[in-house]
Amino acid sequence: MNISLALIHWAFVLSMPILLVGLVNRTKSWWVGRKGPRLIQSAYDLWRLLGKRPVVSATASPLFRAGAYVVLICSLLAASMIPVLGQFAPLQFSHDFVVVAYTLGLARIVLMISAMDVGSSFEGMGAAREASFATFAEPALFLLIGTACAATGMTSFADLIGHLHNTPHYAIIVAPLTIAMLILLQAEAARIPVDDPMTHLELTMIHEVMILDHSGPELAAMQYAAALKMTLYSGLIAALINPFNPLTDPLVGVLVSLALMLTVAVVVGCIESLNARLPMRWVPAYLLIASVAALGSMLAIGLGASGV
Amino acid sequence: MNQLILAVLILMLGAGLCLLPIRNATRAGIGLVSQALATTVAWSVVIPVLLGSPDITGEMSWAYPIGDLHFRLDALGAFFLSWSLPMTFLGGVYAVGYMDKYFSTPRHLGVHFALLNMISVSFLLVYTGEHTVTFLFGWEIAALAAWLLVIWDYPNEKVRFAGFNYLVSTHIGLIFLVAAVMILYTRTHSWFLDDFGDWMSHNPGTLRNTVFLLLVTSFGLKSAFFPFHSWLPRAHAAAPAHVSALMSGVIHKAGLYALVRFILLLGKPDEWMGWFLIVFSVISALVGGLYTVGQRDLKRLLGYSSTENVGIAGIGFGIGCLGLTWDSPGLVALGFGGGLLHVLNHAFFKCQLFYAAGCVYQVKHVVDLERLGGLFKLMPITALCFIVGGIAISALPPFNGFASEFMIYSGLFTGESIGVWAKLTLGLVAAALAFVGAVSALSITRAFGVIFLGNSRDSSLPEGREASRWMLVPMGIHAVGTIVLGVVPVLGLAMVAGPTALLMRAMSNGVATVNMQSTMEILTRVGLISGALVLSVGLVIWWRLKSPKTPQPMLNATWGCGYGAPTPRMQYTGASFSTDFAAHFKSIMVLIKRKKAPTGYFPDDSYVITDCVDSVERRLYSVISHGDETATDLSRKMQEDDPRLAFSAGLAALVVIAALVLLAEGVLP
Repeated sequence: MNISLALIHWAFVLSMPILLVGLVNRTKSWWVGRKGPRLIQSAYDLWRLLGKRPVVSATASPLFRAGAYVVLICSLLAASMIPVLGQFAPLQFSHDFVVVAYTLGLARIVLMISAMDVGSSFEGMGAAREASFATFAEPALFLLIGTACAATGMTSFADLIGHLHNTPHYAIIVAPLTIAMLILLQAEAARIPVDDPMTHLELTMIHEVMILDHSGPELAAMQYAAALKMTLYSGLIAALINPFNPLTDPLVGVLVSLALMLTVAVVVGCIESLNARLPMRWVPAYLLIASVAALGSMLAIGLGASGV
Repeated sequence: MNQLILAVLILMLGAGLCLLPIRNATRAGIGLVSQALATTVAWSVVIPVLLGSPDITGEMSWAYPIGDLHFRLDALGAFFLSWSLPMTFLGGVYAVGYMDKYFSTPRHLGVHFALLNMISVSFLLVYTGEHTVTFLFGWEIAALAAWLLVIWDYPNEKVRFAGFNYLVSTHIGLIFLVAAVMILYTRTHSWFLDDFGDWMSHNPGTLRNTVFLLLVTSFGLKSAFFPFHSWLPRAHAAAPAHVSALMSGVIHKAGLYALVRFILLLGKPDEWMGWFLIVFSVISALVGGLYTVGQRDLKRLLGYSSTENVGIAGIGFGIGCLGLTWDSPGLVALGFGGGLLHVLNHAFFKCQLFYAAGCVYQVKHVVDLERLGGLFKLMPITALCFIVGGIAISALPPFNGFASEFMIYSGLFTGESIGVWAKLTLGLVAAALAFVGAVSALSITRAFGVIFLGNSRDSSLPEGREASRWMLVPMGIHAVGTIVLGVVPVLGLAMVAGPTALLMRAMSNGVATVNMQSTMEILTRVGLISGALVLSVGLVIWWRLKSPKTPQPMLNATWGCGYGAPTPRMQYTGASFSTDFAAHFKSIMVLIKRKKAPTGYFPDDSYVITDCVDSVERRLYSVISHGDETATDLSRKMQEDDPRLAFSAGLAALVVIAALVLLAEGVLP
């Protein structure tokens, strides 16, 4: 059973980055009345990039090209531990969420170093923003995990998320936790209102400006890793909401999970169509909403356990 | 015991021989040989004790009032000795390269190597001292030797000031320690630490709490916890690189050793002590981390990151204390095990980072971020060592910093049945730790990116090249340690298992080896993941970058956004990297900006300089200068030859003394 679940997990994790990006773009096109690109357009784009010979800045050190692959490998490693289907992850052990957060942290630092490597006046800007926004996003994730940990008494990521559904205060905390997770998705996957992947002005970008000098297969690795990160977060949101346990009702659990992930992509697309990017100085405040939401659910758990 | 005495004698003899009127190179040779010999001799007893042999004790009779001197080497002392001695030796090796230009001058290098020997002697005294006098004696030798090492470049006034600042701070710490010892002595009439422990474990109450606070203050000053860190950035910036490395990575770990030693003696700590340690350490980690962001001087930056890292280790010890209070062996294992492992890991990567900073200073003569750049191509080994250390210090896999922080996180997100509010509070601490991790990733990216990547910002500096082998080898050994302890964290865990078991023995419900076992299994898994990460990164990089089948890339200029004439000065700078982030923490980090804006149609001279100054230090100096003025004012107003004043002062003194005697309640002998 677990092997087939693991296969489904990997099929999800590997194919969803293409599909979710396509769906977000489709949603945005729908809002502006265009037909929009094919759902799997980004697969074609990545394929095209893979065949190209890269152009590298003469300033760059060997770390520059290596960085793209480190980012991709770290994201894949994190993907093996994140329970996108619910109470299941192929690689699961006590406190694996620390490994997940810090593996993604390694991906981030390597991405920032690649950006600094070309000695540009723009790419450092993206790195600085990424670094400083990460400091606001990271605590939110740990607060969220701390809440789940206190509520369930479990210690592995999949168990935390899975058992949360059976705790007495699930109905109260699910909404703030989902909001927190959605904000984290927007920050980590570089979506509006934190970052605008479609802008054409270097001064206003975060993720895109860091990979300005990447090309060919390295650019493909970076883009796929970014889409993978979005998949992982939308998978987590789906797991938070999904009432079915994949270990007991595999078919329904997986299907609901799939539907929820696609819904998240549509929601992200709708938010992107209806909102503009926030001014940079407001982004930390926006990210703090995630921490505050997680803190609120912490308070709910604490008060609930004290019998208030 | 004989081996340890032999090691002390070898070190003292080596120190003495270093001072002889012979060639500088011979002096250095004597210093290094004696260090290596002493390390080997000491290892022959330290390693067995660390791996579980019974403690080694020794006695030496001495005259009244000191009485018999007791020494005891247990697992905790053995753990600290096992890496402190070889790392001091490596520091000596590095010194040969770093001090290269002085070898042919009349400057007496022997003193420097003799002082390094004395540092090792102080480790042997402090980490085995069972008698308060030898403990304090070793403590003081370390302080004085470190001070003299810091002021190597004494003709420079700033260096003298930094040294003096350090000397004063470390002695203020000593006053607190002596005060605690005095209280304990009046209660026990004994000089022995185990008698202190006996009294403390049976008499919880106000006096024990006072002793605890005095000790934490003293050890906090020694290990540079916030707000007792103000001496640290100056001293680290002024000292030679290997001295900064040893101070930060090795010497000041004595403060943490003493903290754990006294917790061990304390028996069962009160609950507030654990929480107090956690809060104290979290503040230290947060502020230390934030201060690393604004620094221009690489060595100051690394100095502040020491404050951050002792804070992280302190969080571990705090969790361990709570575990002792709650009789929860899992928390004790993860807390003290994680904290001690972090101490070891920090020694590895911090020395490595300081050595890299020293290599940069050696070839460029500056460590100012804003003037460096593009060093990766000129000194790739140094750059790689720096980034390995940097990733480790940000606690990211696959290097060793991650293993110890993983253990501390496991303690914070414990599965043990403790109260919900305690669990939530520990969750908050974990969020703070995550913030600290992200902040240190920011400052390491900033330091590495600005110094080693891009292009050189200042063409007036000398050409860079790799430093001498004397410097690269110690740095490389530390880097290997950082990687090995990251990929095989079980090795580090095996080293801390002994001292942790010592702490568990203090618990009422006996030894719980099961917990250590499960920690070991999980850490093995973490190590496997780190190893897989290293391996797959290596394979993919070889396949994509080195394999002859992959087409080589085309070289071109960096994307300039349409601007065709960029200069290296237009690269993103350290100040611009940190400004946005620092703006959110104005109340903690004081950023002083001096600028002259360009004016007119043909602006000539314009600049902006951002400096991050230490707010504690500023406040301290403003208070001191204020007090100075008040004292001057008072003495001007008083007529000193007025007999009434003299008599009343004498009376006041008598009253105070009488009150003290009454308050002492006859505890004086």
